[in-house]
Amino acid sequence: MNIPLKRLTFGISLTALASGLGLSAQAQSAAEVLTTYADIAEAGYQDSLTAARRLDGAIDALIAAPSAATLQAARAAWIAARVPYQQTEVFRFGNAIVDDWEGRVNAWPLDEGLIDYVDGAYGGPTDENRLAALNVIAHPAFTLSGKPVDAAKITPKLLQDTLHEADGIEANVATGYHAIEFLLWGQDLNGHAPGAGDRPWTDYAQDDACTHGNCDRRAEYLAAASDLLISDLEWMAAQWAEGAEARTALMADEQAGLSAILTGMGSLSYGEQAGERMRLGLMLNDPEEEHDCFSDNTHNSHYYDGLGVQNVYLGDYVRIDGSLISGPSLSDLVAAENPDLDGEMQSRLSGTMMALGRIKTAAEAGSAYDGMLERGNAAGEALVMGGVNALIAQTRSIERVVAALGAEGIAIEGSDSLDNPSAVFQ
Amino acid sequence: MRRLAVILLALGLAGPARADVDAALDRHILPAFAGFAGAAERLADAAVADCRPRAVAPAYQAAFDAWMAVADLHIGPSETGGLSIAFWPDARGFTGRVLSQLIADEDPVAFDPLGYAEMSIAARGVLALEMMVFDPAYSHYDKGSYACALVRAIALDLSRQAVALEVAWRDGFAATLRSAGGAGNATYLTGDEALRALYTQLLSGLEFTADQRLGRPMGSFEQPRPARAEAWRSGRSLRNVLLSVDAAQALAHTLSGGALPQTDAAAARVHAMAGRVGDPGLQGVSEPQGRLHVELLQQAVRAMRAAIEAEIGVPLGIAPGFNSQDGD
Repeated sequence: MNIPLKRLTFGISLTALASGLGLSAQAQSAAEVLTTYADIAEAGYQDSLTAARRLDGAIDALIAAPSAATLQAARAAWIAARVPYQQTEVFRFGNAIVDDWEGRVNAWPLDEGLIDYVDGAYGGPTDENRLAALNVIAHPAFTLSGKPVDAAKITPKLLQDTLHEADGIEANVATGYHAIEFLLWGQDLNGHAPGAGDRPWTDYAQDDACTHGNCDRRAEYLAAASDLLISDLEWMAAQWAEGAEARTALMADEQAGLSAILTGMGSLSYGEQAGERMRLGLMLNDPEEEHDCFSDNTHNSHYYDGLGVQNVYLGDYVRIDGSLISGPSLSDLVAAENPDLDGEMQSRLSGTMMALGRIKTAAEAGSAYDGMLERGNAAGEALVMGGVNALIAQTRSIERVVAALGAEGIAIEGSDSLDNPSAVFQ
Repeated sequence: MRRLAVILLALGLAGPARADVDAALDRHILPAFAGFAGAAERLADAAVADCRPRAVAPAYQAAFDAWMAVADLHIGPSETGGLSIAFWPDARGFTGRVLSQLIADEDPVAFDPLGYAEMSIAARGVLALEMMVFDPAYSHYDKGSYACALVRAIALDLSRQAVALEVAWRDGFAATLRSAGGAGNATYLTGDEALRALYTQLLSGLEFTADQRLGRPMGSFEQPRPARAEAWRSGRSLRNVLLSVDAAQALAHTLSGGALPQTDAAAARVHAMAGRVGDPGLQGVSEPQGRLHVELLQQAVRAMRAAIEAEIGVPLGIAPGFNSQDGD
């Protein structure tokens, strides 16, 4: 997951765009739009941090007094924590600082056998991943790439520096939301049938009630992963403060900043969400090929990813305390240049939220997302493909936004660009 | 003045754009889909006549060759349709797992060629067939075995997909591209949009070849990953790289209509670099020298992408749109 930042696809045409904006009488300047975007990012990561701290409190309570109730409370806190975080995924592609960091907190998919016990059907090491069934919770010492590793104490440092992406394999996910999700729910062994993972609370019992062994080490792992999530989110929230690195990089160059917004919107919509996370799982018919496969919370992850894209276009974000962040937006900029296109973009974004909302509605009413992926489930396929098609359609409009604003820029550029249109692209 | 400028600019681009899209369709894309449909039909015929690996392999190679001419198009009917023809990369080993499950269960879907279209894409298309025919864990089957029926089902399903894709392009999507900017075309609102869509395929195909077809087996210097090469079991990895580059070169020429000296020189250099890579399955990446040759080949593919940007994108004033491979 920790891949280099995608090429800023629209860098060329946005050079033209920004020079155009500089000359036209805009109600909103590009700088104001970028400020709103950075404010939403800062608030989103702060909210993610607040929710992660609540999750950490619930995990502490589970470890201190394991019970069905404390496990359930921790699961509820995890699901709540996903709401703000997923809305920040739109900041990932386009902002190098986010993309370089993201694999620490939201890496997926994972070979969960690296972390803890798994069902027999999971299998052992694979051609791709020799560590797929390492089970660090059960092994205080093991060898990694020929070197002995002391895992007697499970610390944030062990997870981050030694285990995460061990052996250069992305599926060796030792940290972040999905590692914690696995430790709270366990494997979903229901296939396409109803039901999420069903890890017993006794997996954390610190006495004879302990199930599946090593309950002390399991608790230690969960606590370490939760601590890491907090420190990672603290770091990212701080990067978006006034004068900090992410905000400074965004504001340094207006055209690059606008390009970052649009690149993030388009790359998340198309290649990542429509392609990798939705259509691929559907076409593989695999119940574990869903983003939140242990908790069966995928419908929400998809929904809030989509909402994040809409947020940054409209310049609005509803915080987890219910307050609204709102400011000059990309939508305002587009409307000033081409109101019809702004209308199209808004309607495509709304169409996506409607399609993702249908998936969420069906899932909350009992038709889980993994069931929608089953071979021959035509209704489920139609729901998921409705989301995929809406996301692809909105990507086409995002491209149109770039091209239209870019074309205006060329025109405003004046006779130079008409005499020699290629000049402005160099 | 500003409005006038926009109109002039639009007029300047609309003419050549439409002509180029026509040429790309008529001289490259549609003939290539027809060629693939023919090759896939011959593959199905071969598998029906004799399902055993030795009988199927030559027709498999020919069908995969034909597919490579259009493999990197991800728009229109190919947006989703291409995934079930060549599911790769398969980072989590779905193909082996799903095929093993089918064989273990003797799933009756293998005897239901129409129903096979409902199967996971991991068990469909050229790469599923490759595993059955070339991987020793699967390829020791006889006539009359379940695996034999499965090979036939995959080949028949592939042939049906190839025909459906050809028809969908020829009788549907080609007109959508040609009528870009026309009244009633809701997909491409200007001629430029159709041009940009094809141009994006061109660049993203070369990016995929550099980053995935070559980058995946390269892995890191400390840990090369030869088993991650595309179609390495049938020794096609290097050939697929070259065929994808040839397809990009052909599409570039039809799109531009003019001379492309930098692009042609870059394509020639790709072939020259490929000549130094010994193993057709790219398995040489495990040795430092072999890895270096693959790395030089990768650089040559990236240089070709840059040449196309310089010779087509810049003069026409188009930037690529979003790439279906963006994301993880």
